[in-house]
Amino acid sequence: MNIRQAVKMAWKSIWGKKGRAVLTMLGIIIGIASVMTIVSVITGYASKMMEQFEAMGTNRIQVSVYSNVWTQDENGEMVPAGKDYFPDVYEYCSGMKDLVVGVTPQAYFSATMVYGTKTTANMEYQWDESGMNLISAPPEFYYGSDQYSACSNLTITKGRDLSYLDIQKYNQVVVLGAQAAKIFFGTANPVGETVQLNGQNFEVIGVYASRIKEGSTSMSTLDNFVLVPYTCKRVLGGEQGSDTFIVVAKDPTQMDAIVTQLDGFLKGLLNQGTNDYNVRPENQNMDYVTESLNLIGGVLAGVAAISLMVGGIGIMNIMLVTVTERTREIGIRRAIGAQRSSIVTQFLIEAAMLCGIGGIIGIGIGTLGCFILGNILFQMTIYPSAMVTAGAFGLSVLLGVVFGCYPAIKASNLQPVEALRAE
Amino acid sequence: MANLVELKNVFKIYGEGLESEVRALDGVSLTIQRGEFVAVVGQSGSGKSTMMNVLGCLDIPTRGDYFLDGTDVRELTDKELSLIRNKEIGFIFQQYNLIQSLTVLENVELPLIYQGIGADDRYDLALEALERVGLSKRIKHKPTEMSGGQQQRVAIARAIATKPPIIMADEPTGALDSRTGHEVLEFLQQLNREGTTVILITHDNGIAATARRCVRLTDGKIVEDREQEVDWF
Repeated sequence: MNIRQAVKMAWKSIWGKKGRAVLTMLGIIIGIASVMTIVSVITGYASKMMEQFEAMGTNRIQVSVYSNVWTQDENGEMVPAGKDYFPDVYEYCSGMKDLVVGVTPQAYFSATMVYGTKTTANMEYQWDESGMNLISAPPEFYYGSDQYSACSNLTITKGRDLSYLDIQKYNQVVVLGAQAAKIFFGTANPVGETVQLNGQNFEVIGVYASRIKEGSTSMSTLDNFVLVPYTCKRVLGGEQGSDTFIVVAKDPTQMDAIVTQLDGFLKGLLNQGTNDYNVRPENQNMDYVTESLNLIGGVLAGVAAISLMVGGIGIMNIMLVTVTERTREIGIRRAIGAQRSSIVTQFLIEAAMLCGIGGIIGIGIGTLGCFILGNILFQMTIYPSAMVTAGAFGLSVLLGVVFGCYPAIKASNLQPVEALRAE
Repeated sequence: MANLVELKNVFKIYGEGLESEVRALDGVSLTIQRGEFVAVVGQSGSGKSTMMNVLGCLDIPTRGDYFLDGTDVRELTDKELSLIRNKEIGFIFQQYNLIQSLTVLENVELPLIYQGIGADDRYDLALEALERVGLSKRIKHKPTEMSGGQQQRVAIARAIATKPPIIMADEPTGALDSRTGHEVLEFLQQLNREGTTVILITHDNGIAATARRCVRLTDGKIVEDREQEVDWF
C-alpha cells in the first residue's frame, strides 16, 4: 500500500467523524497556538529591538553617573544634587577625538508639543492599512548635545543640526526626527516654523533623515522624536543634571580602552571612591534584554509544551478508542491481505494527519494571537517567522507520530481471526 | 502436480493441557486438488470454521502440517501469510464483512490496493468484478444502502477482484433468503466451472449438495469424505 492511499484512507476516516476529530484536535490546537504566539512575540520583539539598537548606531558606551542625581545636604537629607557633570565628560571626550565619535546626554522627558491644531495632548497611535507605518503617534522627547546625531546614526536632510552654540546659549530650538516631522507637518517644510513645548516657543531648525531602511520591519516609532538642547531643561523643567550619557567609539576594538579611560576620569572627577557611576558598552544591555527575553520565552514555551503533551495524550486516547471501534475493520483488512506494516502506516498517518490539521489551525490562531499580542504589548505588528511556522507544523505532525505509535502498533498486532470475530 | 491443499494430521487446540482444553481440529488430514468444489459440512462447534481459518491462512495450526500449493504454511512469516491471503485466496463471509465507511467500489478495490496496483488498473479490475456480480451501476453506494443479497454480491466481487485460484466461502448464504442464497451458490458453481477451486463451509446439507465433494466434520474429526451427485442449479 502506498502512502497516497494511506493518506486518502486517513482523510476519509477523519472526515467521517468530524466532530470528534475537532474535539480531539483541541489540545493540539491550543498548544500549537500558544507556542506559536509566545515564540513569535518574543523572537519578533527581540529582533525588532536588535534592529532598533543597530539603527541607533553601534559602538555605544553608556555612562551613568548616579551621584549627580541625589546627594546629602547639610542636614543629612537626600536632595537632588543639581550638579551637571555633562560638560566635564563632554570636555574630556573632546580630548579623545581620535577614539570618540561624539558624546551626548541620553534623557527622555515628557512634554506637550503644539503646532497649530496638532497637539500631543490628544494624539493617538494610528497605523496605515499595512499596519507597518505610523500615521500618527505622540513623539518621544530627547535632551541631547550637538553631538547627538553623531552618536545616534542621524543625518540632517533639511535645515541644520544642533550646534555647540545652541547648547551654550540655551537656544530654544528643536530638530525633528523624520517621522515626527511627517506627523506634525505632513509634506510641508517645518524648518523656520515655531512649535510650543510646554507652552514655550521653540523654533524648528532642522529635520533628520529616516533611519528606517526600505522594506525594514523596524518600528517606525524609531524616527518619531523631537530633539532639544539638553540645556533647555531649565525652561522645560526636570532635574538639572543629566545622569546618563552616551559616548560613541570610532572603532569597536577601542571600546575597552575608552571604557578604561572614562572609568579613570570619572573616579577622579567624582572623587568619592565609590561606585556612584557606571561605564559599560551598550551592547551589554542588549545582551541582558535578550537573555531575559529568552528566559521568559523559555518558561512560557515550557508551559505551552506541557499543554502540547496533554494534547498528544488526548490524541493517543482517541486513537486507542478508534482502534477498538475498528477492530473488525482491521480484521477484514488483514483477511484480504493487509500486512502489519500497512495497518501501522494507516493508523500512524491518521494520527499524524489529525495532529497536522490541528497544527495548521493552531498556527492560524497563533498568528492572529501574535498580531494581537504584539499590538497590545509593544504597539507593533509582529509576523511569525517562516521557521517558527514550519517548526510548529513539524512539531504537531511529530506529536501525532509519537503518540500514534502505540495505538497503531496495537492495531497491527491484532490477530486476524480474533479481530474478525469482534462486533 | 502437487496437491493444492494438503493438511497432514492437523490439530488446533485451545487451552492445551488445561481441563477446559478444546480440540477444534483433532488430527485432520485432507487433500484438495486444483479445480475441486469441496463442501465442508458440520454442526456448529464441529470445527468447520476453525478449518476455514486454518485453510485460509488466518490461523496457524497448533500441530501438524499444512502445505498450500507445496508451501509449508507454518514456515511463513506474517507478511508472507498476508501476501497469500491477498493473492491466492478470496474470502466470502456469512456477515459479508464489508467496510461500512467505504463505498462499494472502494471495498472491492481494497485487496487491489494492498497488492499495490495503480489507480487506473485498480478501477478497471474492480469494475470488472462488480460487472460480473451485476452491480456495476451502484459503485458509489455505501454497503448500508444495499440489501443483504447485494452486499454479499459486493463481497463476492471483492473476493474475485484479484482473480485468486481459491475461493473460501464461510456460510455465504447464512444471512440470505433462499432465492438470493441460490444465486450466490450458482455463482460459486460458475466460478468453479471456470477453474477456481471453491471451498464452501456450511452446516446445511442441502447447500453442501451443490458441491461435488462433501467433507463432514464432527468434533474436529473428519467422519465422512465422499464424492456426490451435484444439484446443478
